[in-house]
Amino acid sequence: MRNKHWKAILLFLTPTVVLYALFFVFPLGYVFFVSFIRWSGAIPTGFAGFQNYLDIFHNPTFAVSIRNNIIWALSLGIGQIALSALVAMILARGPWGWRFLRTVYFLPNVISQVAISMMWIAIYNAEYGALNRILEQIGLGHLARNWLGLVETALPAIIIQQLLYVGYFMIIILASTMSIPTSYYEAAQIDGASVLQQERYITLPLIRGILVTSSILAMAYGLRHFEATFLMTAGGPANSTSVMGIMLFNNLHFLQYGRANAIGAVLIVLGALIIVTMRRTIGRQSEEIVAKG
Amino acid sequence: MKKVGVSAVTIIAKAGKWCLLSFFFFFTFLPLLWLFFSSFKTNFEFLTEPFSLPAVWRFGNYLNAIRISGMPRLFVNSVIVSTCSTILNILAASMAAFVFSREVFKLQNAILNLIVAGVLVPIIAFMVPYFRLISSLGLYNSLPGLIVTYAAINVPISVFLLYSFMQSIPRELEEAAVMDGCSFWMRYSRIIFPLSRLGLVTAATFVFLYSWNEFIYALLLTTSVSARTLQLGIRFFVSQFFTDYTSMYAALVITIIPSMVVYVLFHERIIQGLTSGALKG
Repeated sequence: MRNKHWKAILLFLTPTVVLYALFFVFPLGYVFFVSFIRWSGAIPTGFAGFQNYLDIFHNPTFAVSIRNNIIWALSLGIGQIALSALVAMILARGPWGWRFLRTVYFLPNVISQVAISMMWIAIYNAEYGALNRILEQIGLGHLARNWLGLVETALPAIIIQQLLYVGYFMIIILASTMSIPTSYYEAAQIDGASVLQQERYITLPLIRGILVTSSILAMAYGLRHFEATFLMTAGGPANSTSVMGIMLFNNLHFLQYGRANAIGAVLIVLGALIIVTMRRTIGRQSEEIVAKG
Repeated sequence: MKKVGVSAVTIIAKAGKWCLLSFFFFFTFLPLLWLFFSSFKTNFEFLTEPFSLPAVWRFGNYLNAIRISGMPRLFVNSVIVSTCSTILNILAASMAAFVFSREVFKLQNAILNLIVAGVLVPIIAFMVPYFRLISSLGLYNSLPGLIVTYAAINVPISVFLLYSFMQSIPRELEEAAVMDGCSFWMRYSRIIFPLSRLGLVTAATFVFLYSWNEFIYALLLTTSVSARTLQLGIRFFVSQFFTDYTSMYAALVITIIPSMVVYVLFHERIIQGLTSGALKG
């Protein structure tokens, strides 16, 4: 049975399908295909087998990058989601000014990473940075240091800066929390349940699904993290903050197309693995959330 | 005795609650405020009195920023790229969403799911193919190159948002119009498109903010100031500011303002868009 409008339907789908094919389907195939091609310099020079993959896995920076990506994924997927959920559960009870707070918490998400990163470079700067100045003024001057320039502090400095912007997932979790009928809480209150007990036995089980989905998304973001690190340290000092995205960029920069795509392929496969295994193991519900991209 | 214990717990919980809320408020807001105040100071004042209000509000920093960085050109580029990519994206996605939500055809769900699944793809893995694609289309270092890229990257999210929205529009209106001889094209342009206004604004806000703030592909797909956007300009002109920190902060504030305006005007739409997926769960 054919829809009588099939020509019009085809016409209406064409722009979207063309854009999707060019910018999603083709690149996906391209990344995997070229990851098996020997290609450093202007033109490809033949089939490489798994050589590109062996090359990147033998690069010590790649081990650091994978480790950092895992640290990122866990920090965001566990730390940021826990904090976001905590804030969302407080705001859902409608304290004074909750709408205003919700709006402010989300604010950094509409500002570019370039501006945010440059602001934090100014905060972490060794000589004039706001953080060191505050430490000096409260008598903790001995703690002042070059936060982004030292191997021990650079990675934590970037992660904490990103992790404490809880607005994005807070909004998502808050919506889910606020959709729980108030009658549940009223009934619990009559039975003598405290606020903490209500949150523990009513809210948490009911928002479990959205927490799992948010956590999966946050981990996926941790895996594809690029901008803040690129802008604040470019992977340094001594490659200590490098992530896969930075390595991919550097390989592309030096025309190592084969290796760059091998890293891209690893990134895509790991991302898919996280989503699939998390869904299988702890996520029984399957929600769809709008993602940042 | 028991009663005292309970109220002590309540007080601690209350205090903890407000500590947490104010911590995140200050963490989010104070750095931005600090940046804003610093952008009106002299460099000497910034280095000696970092946390005071500006003694004199020096708007000259803003003139410096505009002059040194060649900002007008970059600003115009950013406006063109963001506006055009939003229009292109919304036109394409709304037509597709209309068809997905109103017609029945083969492979409908397969195609829809495939497109929406695009929101999960790590776009940074596509640096090489996007670079090659845009180069071979002859769009390297051009505004159209960025426009097409941004419009395409946001196709999955827009289709998802608009499809959800159009699903909620009752069909009765359309049926009446079809009885009156309304064509396929007019059902889209005269009925569904205008009725989807709120959904379109939500999707357009997302695409616009994405395009305005995007950095990686602006870096990768352009090479000269003729096609550079504001984000890239800010990044590359840091060296030109050298030690003129406060003028640099003025430049940052200028890039932030349009995002803030969009946010103030449309924050209800943004929140609605983010939660339209969440509520289904």
